[in-house]
Amino acid sequence: MTQADEQLKVLFAQDEPAARDPRFSTAVMEKVMRRRFQEDVALLSAASLVGGGALWALWPALQPALVALSQGLAPALGALALAACAAMVLGGRVRSALGLES
Amino acid sequence: MSPASLDEALVAAAQGGSTEAFSRLVERHQQALRAFLRRACGDWAAADDLAQETFLAAWSRIGRLKAGASVRAWLCGIGYNKHLTAMRSAGRERARAERYEADRPPPSDAAPEDRLALEAAMADLPPEQRACVALCLAGDFSHAEAAEALAIPLGTVKSHVSRGRARLLQALGVCDDAS
Repeated sequence: MTQADEQLKVLFAQDEPAARDPRFSTAVMEKVMRRRFQEDVALLSAASLVGGGALWALWPALQPALVALSQGLAPALGALALAACAAMVLGGRVRSALGLES
Repeated sequence: MSPASLDEALVAAAQGGSTEAFSRLVERHQQALRAFLRRACGDWAAADDLAQETFLAAWSRIGRLKAGASVRAWLCGIGYNKHLTAMRSAGRERARAERYEADRPPPSDAAPEDRLALEAAMADLPPEQRACVALCLAGDFSHAEAAEALAIPLGTVKSHVSRGRARLLQALGVCDDAS
């Protein structure tokens, strides 16, 4: 590198930002997170709209099937709900009786 | 791990959606990008705004970055395009002209008149030539890397750097010991 280039380099070096600038990096990442949040909201909104529209369009065909299915599954769902309640109520006692409670 | 392979790993993680990896890329390359944009547009506040917009665009486009590509050249390329767009809407630059003076650091050991002469000479260069000078003479980019960043032929970069250097030295009254 010539002396003239060195001189240019010294002058240019005065424009150099700090190697680490947390304020700048934080500002960038705030914008990135905001953009990501907006994209997520837009995606979820679009998915909800599409899902709602599809359900509305298919409801006449789905309704009879769902009614029939719910009648057939009602006893099984009831039993499952009872079992879940029992597990919630008794689960803690069983665990402590077995010495598994931390 | 070498800087290039660290960049590659961070890019791969960011492409997978890791904001933490992208944050590390911002930390690693903010200095080079902001320095380039400051020299290319001469307005520190506007340059920092452009740098933020550049990183935001980079986050959206990170999936398109090829494995092994130079991250800083890619970022400078995005930043340069944003700078050209901003130049076309010159009103924005005028609005920030006052903030420019306030953001400048106190003069350092180099003579202020040299500093001003360099700034004036840089401002007189055509945008593409100025960008080449900012990358190659001030930013330690190779000619090939600058050509990649600015999307111009290698020969054009070389001639821009050579002519720009001569004009800067002439403006500073420095004898060109290379010639």
